[in-house]
Amino acid sequence: MRARLKDQIPTLLVALLAGTFGVLLLHVTGMLAVAIAADSVTGDSDTVALMLPVVAWVFIVIAIYVSAVVTSNTVATVVAGRTRLIALLRLIGSSARAERGRIAREGLAVGFAGAAAGILLGTLAAFGLERVAVASGVMPAVDYQYLNASVLLPAIAVVLTTWLASWVGSRRVLRVRPIEAIGQAVESDREELVRRRGRNIAAVVLIVLGTALLAAGIVVGLVRPEGVLIGLLGGILSFSGVVLAAHVVMPPVLRLVGRLFGRSPAARIAAENAVRNPERASRMTIGLVIGVTLVTTFSVTMESYRAMIHAAIEAQPEVFAGVEGMLNVTIAIFAVLIGFSALIAAIGMVNTLSLSVLQRTRELGLLRALGFEARQLRGMIVAEAAALTVAATLTGLVLGFVYGWAGAQALLGGAQGQPVFVFPGIPWAMIGILIVAAGLLTAIASIAPARRAMRVSPVVALATD
Amino acid sequence: MQIQPSDLGLIARVATLGKRYGSGSGQVTALDDVSLGLRRGEFTAIMGPSGSGKSTLMHIMAGLDTPSSGQVWLGDTEITSLPDSALTVLRRRRVGFIFQSFNLVPTLDVRGNVLLPFELDGRKPSLDERMWIEELYEVLGLKSRLGHRPHELSGGQQQRVAIARALATRPDLVFADEPTGNLDSRTGREVLGLLAGASAGYGQSIAMVTHDPIAASHADRILYLADGRIVRDAGRSTPEEIASFMLSMETAA
Repeated sequence: MRARLKDQIPTLLVALLAGTFGVLLLHVTGMLAVAIAADSVTGDSDTVALMLPVVAWVFIVIAIYVSAVVTSNTVATVVAGRTRLIALLRLIGSSARAERGRIAREGLAVGFAGAAAGILLGTLAAFGLERVAVASGVMPAVDYQYLNASVLLPAIAVVLTTWLASWVGSRRVLRVRPIEAIGQAVESDREELVRRRGRNIAAVVLIVLGTALLAAGIVVGLVRPEGVLIGLLGGILSFSGVVLAAHVVMPPVLRLVGRLFGRSPAARIAAENAVRNPERASRMTIGLVIGVTLVTTFSVTMESYRAMIHAAIEAQPEVFAGVEGMLNVTIAIFAVLIGFSALIAAIGMVNTLSLSVLQRTRELGLLRALGFEARQLRGMIVAEAAALTVAATLTGLVLGFVYGWAGAQALLGGAQGQPVFVFPGIPWAMIGILIVAAGLLTAIASIAPARRAMRVSPVVALATD
Repeated sequence: MQIQPSDLGLIARVATLGKRYGSGSGQVTALDDVSLGLRRGEFTAIMGPSGSGKSTLMHIMAGLDTPSSGQVWLGDTEITSLPDSALTVLRRRRVGFIFQSFNLVPTLDVRGNVLLPFELDGRKPSLDERMWIEELYEVLGLKSRLGHRPHELSGGQQQRVAIARALATRPDLVFADEPTGNLDSRTGREVLGLLAGASAGYGQSIAMVTHDPIAASHADRILYLADGRIVRDAGRSTPEEIASFMLSMETAA
């Protein structure tokens, strides 16, 4: 009834991070613009001042998009956990729309809180960065106004997307039937199957269309640089198709990964848990898939670009002198910026996993009653978290590699005057970081749920409510 | 002009009701051509062994489930063809529920739970309704517990809150699904006494689903269901009479 605050903490955290990121980035680019304008050498050029906000906004939009996907999945998980309560309220006479509206309103309030805190934190962080940069002589002291209206824009965007994502994520509320408050066995919902068919068709259309455009972009890219724009559109469409079809794509990957964990009862049940509910599995992994895909796409494209520059440096060392250093700095900055979106996705996965374990207390009690040791239960939770992380990372790596190569080919295929095949660069450092991050994520994601699972008493499995 | 259920003194009525699950050879018949009317102001028990279709019957009469065939009236409203939004309003204003597992909202205190149907309706209870609710608190012995959350109450107290919530809107009909199933026998008897009292004292119509002969013995009328059909329609009975009829049904099957 009254907003269950604990459920909303994950959404708050995501809104806070996205808000902080957006505000910080705009402050920093704003500061840089002031510094560049004040500099006697670069001050005359408008190009940099114009480009900075554009680049900043590209990364802000990516971060907000990822947080919207994460939030809608978190909300869907919250709704799944509240099904019985919602059914009870429906039974007593609340309408489905009122219940959904309540969740969307919670999203709006949480979005507000997150964005407001984001403005504060982002501004503080920017201020700190400025002090450090000035003190260490990286940047001259600048007269930058922290109170400017432009930083409100990312905050407003965060509020609106959190609200929208809560609305989208809460559509399951409409399918909760009052009888679920009492009935033990619930018929399978035919409406849901129909809805899924529509979604699957949309996903296939998007993937086919997107792949065709991606191919067209590569071909056009052989002769004209505009090919990359066609390819970009194709990439967005086909990737949206993959996201829509996540409940079909993810279970086979999860099953495959599950086999790697051996045949112990804990590992087998963990693997089954990960695939038993395709909707839940895709909810938990898709945010991370998006994050890893973004990072990989970006790194593969950059690595291919770097390889090409290297070739150019070897051919004409005097023309490209000094390019190497700048290239590395640029790549590093972009990697940090895009990595932030992956961080939001990772936090989303940690939260959804915790929530979904909290919601399965009864089931864990049953396993205890059947003779699982607390230690085995912990092993099961860790294996489940690992299966989800590994599956999401693998899927993201494969997708990112394809998109990254397509992007590099479309961008660089015709750059030297004649059509060439661009060898995809393999960003080993990034792959290494991702593997370490995946291990870390698994560990973090399973701490709280595993502790909780070990405390579950076998008696709860036998309780009626 | 069709005769309305209310012309017959009925608060709810079902006609040639059928409910089937699945299709083909795997089809299961939960209700088979059931016709009955519940009289206004009466406390009716619906008895039957597990799987007799009594819960399905209650769910359909309350508009929670849809029948495969037949019609259902609550008051003079034919509810089988009503859209979900109309059913929602109907549940909110004209039906009350009491369950085996109490089903209170855990985050609300006693007062919040009892006033919930009004809140969902977007209105405050009128003066008359407030006095009625105060009387319910008094009769049900909840006066000193109004600020307590469900987890701070015993099972019997929680069920009293559920009864207060069900009666607060003075609904046409209160459905009670095994209301004593989770209570010890003494507390169970108290709850049954309260339900019977609501019916006798305030004219509240109540339909109670149960398989407990002692619970059914508090009712004015007992309908026996077996294999989806009404097999007997009896008046007030002793627990012994009810139990022996139930046993004879079991052995005949």
